Amino acid sequence: MRPSTIKYYLKEGFVGLLKNRLMTVASIATVAACIFIVSFSVCVISNLNSMLHQLEDTIGIAVFLEDDLSSDEITALRDNIATIDHVTNVLYISPDEALESIKEDWDAGDLLDGFNGENNPLSHSFEIEIDSIENQNSVLTSLSSLSGVRNIRHAQTETDILLKLNKIVSIIGVVVMALLAVISVVIIMNTIKISVYTRRTEISIMKFVGATDWFIRWPFIIEGIFIGIIGSIIPMIVSMPVYSKSVSVLYSYLPITNIANFLDTYTIFSRLIPISLAAGIALGVMGSVSSIRKYLRV
Amino acid sequence: MLRIENVTKVYPNGSEGVKNANIHIEKGEFVFFIGSSGSGKSTLIKLLMKELNPTKGRIIINGINTTDMKQSQIPYLRRNLGIVFQDFRLLPNKTVYENVAFAMQVIEAPTRLIRRNVPTVLSLVGLSHKARAYPNQLSGGEQQRTALARAIVNNPPILIADEPTGNLDPDTAWEIMNLLEEINKRGTTVVVATHAKDMVDIMQKRVVALNHGVVVRDVKKGGYDDEA
Repeated sequence: MRPSTIKYYLKEGFVGLLKNRLMTVASIATVAACIFIVSFSVCVISNLNSMLHQLEDTIGIAVFLEDDLSSDEITALRDNIATIDHVTNVLYISPDEALESIKEDWDAGDLLDGFNGENNPLSHSFEIEIDSIENQNSVLTSLSSLSGVRNIRHAQTETDILLKLNKIVSIIGVVVMALLAVISVVIIMNTIKISVYTRRTEISIMKFVGATDWFIRWPFIIEGIFIGIIGSIIPMIVSMPVYSKSVSVLYSYLPITNIANFLDTYTIFSRLIPISLAAGIALGVMGSVSSIRKYLRV
Repeated sequence: MLRIENVTKVYPNGSEGVKNANIHIEKGEFVFFIGSSGSGKSTLIKLLMKELNPTKGRIIINGINTTDMKQSQIPYLRRNLGIVFQDFRLLPNKTVYENVAFAMQVIEAPTRLIRRNVPTVLSLVGLSHKARAYPNQLSGGEQQRTALARAIVNNPPILIADEPTGNLDPDTAWEIMNLLEEINKRGTTVVVATHAKDMVDIMQKRVVALNHGVVVRDVKKGGYDDEA
């Protein structure tokens, strides 16, 4: 490719955008609207997902130990548990600490004072965190085979609900995104098709003076890239402040901070911006290339 | 240079555009394809440009059989053909200069060559003073001269003109015909499809007459109505 040819492609691409201003604006608006809707659903679905994961983290496994274990045996047992696959953290709770936390939770005042020290009926225990609740069962199996363990407690019902919710959200997410993506491609292709239709004479002239198909395509591809970039930047500029504002409004109305948090604007948009740029460019280019195909068959 | 061998074109609706045509054109010839509307002239031109493919037979241009040519090779075939249409087909948003330069840009000619060749052909067709004008500021004859300049700027060995004077008044038509003859004298093979009787009669060139898709007459120096 000659530099003069590249210059020609760029020039023709931008001249085309300016000449067909109305179609350019229409195409950019279509891409922007599609990307805006898709990013809106990405925001909702990622937040649901992240909240479910946050809830998962609150579900741990509690392991209560036999009363007659020495502190060495307890330490050995803790190290043992820590080596089990999927276990991310093991926290030792002494009977005294357990009593303190009960007192706090129940607001029992001095009602429980008599159970201090020697009289404490509570056992040594571990609070175990695992990487994902999907692996809970395998961890439980490993724990039950250890000696020195008196009782294991876990929240089976909550785990099952969370696992199901997680699956549902993922499936809905995939279906919604796929549908939106297909609809967007169709709309964008139609819009660009109209803009190409107005230039079919130009294409036919290029064909009979001996232009190769790629020579004809390049300016349209450059137009597509430009439409894609602008069409994806606009919804990002709009939705970023909208998102952070919505999150702060939701926090002030819904007392959910202690259960789960929304993803912060940076986390979500650092992923969303490159994805929508890529999607916008891909949509623009695909739309252009597929729309001119028909007119190249001369 | 240009061989049409046993070519038949049947359209999808069953009508025959050309029936078993055999035409051989040598390098440097000037040939008229004549006949009334629907006689098959335009079909023949489209077959030469490979806008259509023959149903039967083969077409050889510059030693290359175009019949079973790959789609991707067609642009390179067309670079051997300068083409002029009745309706000029200029780009309305480009100036005369740009329209002609466009044909060179399209085949990725170096800028230096474009700057040298475009003014040369523009002066050949007598349009140097209109280089910056847009097509809608030109008369019909000037538009067709621009189209001619575009067709010959890449020095194609063959120039094909489909009813080049169809939209022009007689005086202007003659200007175009004289230009075609001038281009022919410089060594380019020229094929003109026309039903401009008086011009064919006066110019006394080779005439291939078509009627209902059949070549009914092919004479070396002839008029429009001569008997075979």
